[in-house]
Amino acid sequence: MTEEEAIFDPLMKKKRKKKKTAFDIDAALAEGGTEANENSESVGAGDKENQEPVKTENEKNEKNESKDVDMDDTNFDFENCSKKKKKKKKPFNMEDLDGALPDMGSKSKDEGSAEAEAAQDEGVVDDNFDLDMDFSKTKKKKKKKKDVDELLAESEANKAEDKDNVFALFALTCCTEVEKFPEPVEDSVTAWASEDRDYTYDELLTRVFEIMRDKNPDMVAGKKQKFVMRPPQVVRIGTKKTSFANFTEICKTLHRQPKHLLDFLLAELGTSGSVDGNNQLIIKGRFQQKQIENVLRRYIKEYVTCHTCRSPDTILQKDTRLFFLQCEMCGSRCSVASIKSGFQAVTGKRAAIRAKTA
Amino acid sequence: MSIQNLNTFDPFADAIKGADDDVQDGLVHIRIQQRNGRKTLTTVQGLSAEYDLKKIVRACKKEFACNGTVIEHPEYGEVLQLQGDQRENICQWLTKSGLAKPEQLKVHGF
Repeated sequence: MTEEEAIFDPLMKKKRKKKKTAFDIDAALAEGGTEANENSESVGAGDKENQEPVKTENEKNEKNESKDVDMDDTNFDFENCSKKKKKKKKPFNMEDLDGALPDMGSKSKDEGSAEAEAAQDEGVVDDNFDLDMDFSKTKKKKKKKKDVDELLAESEANKAEDKDNVFALFALTCCTEVEKFPEPVEDSVTAWASEDRDYTYDELLTRVFEIMRDKNPDMVAGKKQKFVMRPPQVVRIGTKKTSFANFTEICKTLHRQPKHLLDFLLAELGTSGSVDGNNQLIIKGRFQQKQIENVLRRYIKEYVTCHTCRSPDTILQKDTRLFFLQCEMCGSRCSVASIKSGFQAVTGKRAAIRAKTA
Repeated sequence: MSIQNLNTFDPFADAIKGADDDVQDGLVHIRIQQRNGRKTLTTVQGLSAEYDLKKIVRACKKEFACNGTVIEHPEYGEVLQLQGDQRENICQWLTKSGLAKPEQLKVHGF
């Protein structure tokens, strides 16, 4: 995880920066209007008293804007069309803006939700103020208005849209650039981004990871590195013996001496066995493929994958009677347990053993 | 952010703790061996010599409804031997009775 984070953090910053710059351009273009808006946003977390002067400014801007809007009514419809698209996009952008100013975002949101209720009680004028203060809320308001009493609230909506226009008009001018950033990611990952609610941590987390994966597909750390191996081919020979047909092949894929793996298998299974002429391992006893798989998995865990970074790219060396596992990836070197069969109970016929030894 | 340097750290904490439970040496190996047919044998090697293995095997036999014996081995000491595949049972029983910690148990076999 730490590695991932180390890799990802700069990316994240980059992303945010990009978006910020996009907004900066907006702001530069907007000069009066958006600046005021941004001010209001930045102050949003603060006292209302502080905000009021800003609001008045905004209202002035609004009025100016509304004139503009009246002038290009035709434009407006077009914007309305585009706005629907933008509505989807906006929360995303908002999120990022909020993310750029971390404590700001949460505060303003909280306030937003709290004020939304208050605003509903108090009415239209407050509505406008609220719109000024918080963009995320403007959406809420607008949606409600449009859903419930679109016709009645058209004038209001106009005002609201003015607000948006402060944003949207300038956004439109450079919206092509702005939209390019969120689009590819958004479509694939965040269906919920259009929803008007506080996103859960999990959603945002998955989104971040998706973005990271999208941005650098060749990165390994993001997904679990899989160690693909052919399954062992285990066949019963007669009733008492089992053949492990691709034994040498598996040894090769693991880069281990067949003898080492053989020792381990026989010690673990507590039997005897040998490699025959066809390079297959014959084990005494009945074993199923999944049982052998289990033992192989344990072998890989202990003697193949690096204990530090879990990379399978390792070398097993014998050094003064001890086996050492040297990792090619991270360079760590550690000793591994020696293979001991331990106590073996007598399972065969005692008479036969006695006959052998005697 | 707290200043980590000022935290008191006892360098001997590990050494003191490690004295009474040495996991590496005190490993209890639980193995399985195949016999003729479907029959199997479970062996428990490495139980501390402080315990009376005869009493343990008596309890195990009763608990798992199987036969069992204690075998004296010159190298591995006393080894418990139970009939059938009792690996799961013996693991649970040893941890439950407090004879061995779960991290001490090492189960071999398939």
